[in-house]
Amino acid sequence: MSLVAAFNRLSDNAGVRKAWLGLVCAIFVCIIIVPSVFVVTKVFTDWDLVSGVLGDSAKMRVIGGAVWNSFSIAFIVTIVDVLVGLPIAWILVRKSFRGKRALDTLLDMPLAFPTAVLGLSVVMFWGAPEGVTIPGLGLHLSPYVMIILLHFIFTYPYMVRSLSAILEQIEPNYETAAMTLGASRLTAVRTITLPLFRAGLVTGITLCFARSLSETGGTYIALTLMGSQSSFFTGPTYIAENGGSVLSGEMIVISVIMILLALFLLVAVKGIIGHFHINATKVWPQVGRKLSRGAAPKAKDGLALAFMVLIILLPSFYIFTYLSEPASVDTSALLGSIGISFLVAGVAVVFDIVFGIPLALYIARHHGSKPAAVLDELVNIPLIIPTTALGLSLALFWGGANSTGAVAVVLVILGHISFTYPLVVRNITGAVEEVDPAMEETAQTLGAKPLQAFTKILFPIIKPSVIAGAILAFTRSLGETGATVAISGAVNTVPVYIVNLVKSGQKLADPSYYAQAAMCSIVLIAICFVLMFAVRIIMHRGEDHA
Amino acid sequence: MPEIVLENLVKEYSGGIRASDELSLTIHDGEYLCLLGPTGAGKTTALRMICGLTAPDSGRVLFDGQDLAGIPISERRATMLSQSYALFPNMDVYHNVVFSPVIKRWSEEDTKQLARSMIDMVHMGKKVKNYPRELSGGQQQRTALARAMASDSKVLLLDEPLRALDARLRIELRKELKSMVKEMGLTSVHVTHDQDEAMEVADRIAIIRHGRIIQVGTPKEIFQNPATPFVANFLGRSNIFAGKFVGNDAGHSVIELRDGIRVKARPADLEPGQEAVVAVKVGSTVPELVGGVKDVQDSHLPDTLPDGYFTGNVERVLYEGSTITIETNVKGLGIVSAQRSSRRFEYYKPGSRVIVTWQPAKASVFPMPESGLAQEMRLD
Amino acid sequence: MRFGDFYAVHDISLTVAEGEYVTILGPSGCGKTTLIKLISGIWHPTEGRVLVDGNDVTDVPLEDRDIGYVFQNIALFPNLDNLENVEYGPRVRAQPLTDQQTTAEEYLTLVSMLDRAGMFPSELSGGEQQKVAIARALASGSKTLMLDEPLSALDARVRMELRYEIRRIVKELGITVLHVTHDQEEAMSVSDRIVLMRAGAIHDTGNPMEMYRDPQSIFAAFFIGETNLLEGYVSGYTKNGRTKVRLRTGYTVRGEKTAFALGDAVIISVRPENVYTADDGLRAKVVSVVFMGTYWRVRTLADTGDYVEYNVSDNHVPPAPGEPVMLVFNKRMTKIFGRPKEGLEGAISLE
Repeated sequence: MSLVAAFNRLSDNAGVRKAWLGLVCAIFVCIIIVPSVFVVTKVFTDWDLVSGVLGDSAKMRVIGGAVWNSFSIAFIVTIVDVLVGLPIAWILVRKSFRGKRALDTLLDMPLAFPTAVLGLSVVMFWGAPEGVTIPGLGLHLSPYVMIILLHFIFTYPYMVRSLSAILEQIEPNYETAAMTLGASRLTAVRTITLPLFRAGLVTGITLCFARSLSETGGTYIALTLMGSQSSFFTGPTYIAENGGSVLSGEMIVISVIMILLALFLLVAVKGIIGHFHINATKVWPQVGRKLSRGAAPKAKDGLALAFMVLIILLPSFYIFTYLSEPASVDTSALLGSIGISFLVAGVAVVFDIVFGIPLALYIARHHGSKPAAVLDELVNIPLIIPTTALGLSLALFWGGANSTGAVAVVLVILGHISFTYPLVVRNITGAVEEVDPAMEETAQTLGAKPLQAFTKILFPIIKPSVIAGAILAFTRSLGETGATVAISGAVNTVPVYIVNLVKSGQKLADPSYYAQAAMCSIVLIAICFVLMFAVRIIMHRGEDHA
Repeated sequence: MPEIVLENLVKEYSGGIRASDELSLTIHDGEYLCLLGPTGAGKTTALRMICGLTAPDSGRVLFDGQDLAGIPISERRATMLSQSYALFPNMDVYHNVVFSPVIKRWSEEDTKQLARSMIDMVHMGKKVKNYPRELSGGQQQRTALARAMASDSKVLLLDEPLRALDARLRIELRKELKSMVKEMGLTSVHVTHDQDEAMEVADRIAIIRHGRIIQVGTPKEIFQNPATPFVANFLGRSNIFAGKFVGNDAGHSVIELRDGIRVKARPADLEPGQEAVVAVKVGSTVPELVGGVKDVQDSHLPDTLPDGYFTGNVERVLYEGSTITIETNVKGLGIVSAQRSSRRFEYYKPGSRVIVTWQPAKASVFPMPESGLAQEMRLD
Repeated sequence: MRFGDFYAVHDISLTVAEGEYVTILGPSGCGKTTLIKLISGIWHPTEGRVLVDGNDVTDVPLEDRDIGYVFQNIALFPNLDNLENVEYGPRVRAQPLTDQQTTAEEYLTLVSMLDRAGMFPSELSGGEQQKVAIARALASGSKTLMLDEPLSALDARVRMELRYEIRRIVKELGITVLHVTHDQEEAMSVSDRIVLMRAGAIHDTGNPMEMYRDPQSIFAAFFIGETNLLEGYVSGYTKNGRTKVRLRTGYTVRGEKTAFALGDAVIISVRPENVYTADDGLRAKVVSVVFMGTYWRVRTLADTGDYVEYNVSDNHVPPAPGEPVMLVFNKRMTKIFGRPKEGLEGAISLE
């Protein structure tokens, strides 16, 4: 019997299937979950280090300030994202007009930009950092405001996508029904659609918040360019600035605080929004009608679009103005770091797909059962935990603090696996849930073994989503700074390379470094653009077949 | 082609819902059996247990006496045609149809031959290169059928195969469906909620409700001899009356409904005074105009009928095409329906006084169901 | 109404009287749902006007049209219980709170669902949900009701009961109803008037009896009720002026009086209840015999190559498959139509 036929036969055996799933779960827990939260145990094992820091009020003030900055910035950014993202999500789902595809594409652009690059671009656009020769708006903004403006850019697409996804699932007839009963569109949305929205809102808020909490590279570069990297901290930049994976009490304390707070908020958000009841008994028919027609909705949409262009798109693309002053680039160093970035991202994504598909299949096909719900929650954890803290925890777990060479690269890969795995799993889960289970079932009754039903029927149908998820994960890994730096300062992925260039530029007061950093950024963006573009083409071709 | 035996199947879901409640049924070799019942009766669960997609909590499924427990789905040779057709969107019609032979590694020549004959049988020859999304509902259904029949299965399971189609199309396709399947000689189980459909296609019908089989028989048997009041009104509309059993007389029984209204029905094995239910098909209920000329009866009724049992006023006459339904309001009993040939349409006017009668042999009597009449008669 | 290059409905003119129960009947894709969406205001026509009580409401927005609408997939608000669902209309019109509840309870009682007022839609069966949806549509006080395939998603047996109840309720309240369906049995049993649509245009209209006894086209004859269709040529006329039609084998039948000329290609349409067996007639072989309740439906293959079905009442013994029979048609009920240029199959195609 050939190997393929042997595997097919094996898949018939329920015991074998269970064992395979068990293995995947074990790998997931041991390689991803446990290392991510390991640092929390250090509070108990290295209590003296920890208590030393906790007792030092000066250190605690700095740490507390950093944590406060991270969380308050994330909070503000998320709230604003909801308000300006909702109209755009609405337009994307409910309206059809020429140029909708363009809007759709534009929306994903910020995801293609590695955040380190965005840090550079945003400060250039809004402020006038010393030594940067390209003029920007020249506003003198505080670090706090600048970081908020930066964080809008890469959290916004997550919010809009989550809201769109849920909106697509809500039956539009509910609103129509409400309107046939005499409700203005505003009233219909307020009383019927929004309450049904909760799940999407939770997802959007969680993703936005987590993304903002995690961001390291861009924030760090922005602060460096403004000269505030030693005075103003967010959680991740504190870790990045003060020693990477050196096991100090400060590192443990701040990581643990960030992890615990993030997990707590995940639960809190679900609880609050789940039980939040907008009192909808009061109705104002005339006001509702006025606000639903004519100028008001157009103004709302106009403002949302203006926000999108002015705050999100322009600052992101601003870095391309550096092309007017091309600087020379150390090509061998750049190529080297591109190589490392691709290696890390590539291996991480392959692992994600191979070990993500079984888990995603289980969650999707056993929707509603206890084990599936638990797994679903577990998968979210690496997504919520700030990647810098995650990297630190992982390095501690494997005992590789301050490692170099191949060990460091392996650890960085493991770190990247941790935060890309949930992205891939969620993507595949979503795709599988869309497929009628009758497809595989019918295939089996026609004589296909379970593995055959998967390879011949299910996988071809979800392939576009799998590839899209893989590319998104790849891009995410390419753009990550915090985890890499937290695990080992010796692994020079492209974002790390850019950060180092900016650091040198600031330290040496040499603007040519900034120009170099900008050119490398542009190269990195170009690569990511090409990949994102490929995603769109694959997805659309896939849609045509479905 | 196997005889299928379902033996005391039980399947319970969380929340205590019993989709199958000691379900037992025998399906004969080569038979086309319809599993008929309201939505939620457990019909789909029963089908899924036959082909192995769902495992019963207890009970057995046997093909020709062999217990199927432990036999994987792919080896049972019982193929399922689902409500949504589940045509593989990544393959055209031809490749959908040959899916099974290809998976089973038949020779290319045999595969081609089988595919060609199946595709011709369902008249899809012109569409072999089309993809499922390019086909109409009826075409999709026929493709799914060809795929099922090309699978060399012994058993064909059809889960509401016509549900997604327009009413008129359903009527056309069900005739084709039956003849095509019978030609192949498979043992077939066809699930539906539509009693007209079941009557037209089935060799035998099994009425299922709340996870159990209530009655099995040919359409004629079930129609003329329903086992419970529910069946009496589910397969063919019936007038249902509650009353007390009085006793048996020469060849018929007498039941008192209320206020001295007594009706005749088939002889029954009940105690005098026992609560009873009388069911008469609307086609056997005859309203005769009071004081009118003795009417020429519809051809399915005998020339003389017993004297009427009660009177009422015609409230409404519904024109249904070849038939009409006369709704008579009878004091204390509510609306009594009667169905006749539409040739009599002009005969009945709203407001006319009629006296209602029927042949005793056409009326069934049952003991009052334990759960009460309202619960018994629920259609959903 | 145009969607790009596609005319969903084309040049439709329709008048509905107050209190009338009109059913718009037709196969899927004929434009019937588009039509009621235009009338109720859910969609705006690319051309044309909609008038209610003489007022042009074409540009009146949906929420001001005061037309009740019941959806095929029910669309009860899942986050509100049944009472709150029915209260919704009065509530968004800012009626006083106590009135809201009283009105809602009134309508729930009308559809016999008051005892389930506190339950949520997901806890009800399909038929029950639809009854609540109807109560909700009527509770806002509209005098016009659109039913968009309201019964299509329900079990066949439930459909039969619910359609009579709907009719009873709307007639009691004096509501004008536009009911869309693809089910001709449903249309026949509840309508004052049937409007038959096909490919975006109105094909035929009349009360159920007219549509059944006197269809104006082959499609109408085929779509409403069942009928046997046979091809032939006009071969002469009887003394009484009836048209004689010669079928493929040379057998001649008599039909209604028509204005067809000698030699015209025609199609005859005769319903199963008007076909009988006799000692002499059109030769046919029995293909199948099906029990249908009070009669047997016998399907035969005539020598002309056409399938012909007829009924045998249940207290007679029907012929067995394979037996030869001779068929005759009731000449008064045999309709004759001209052969359409798209051919018989094209004229009756449903998809």
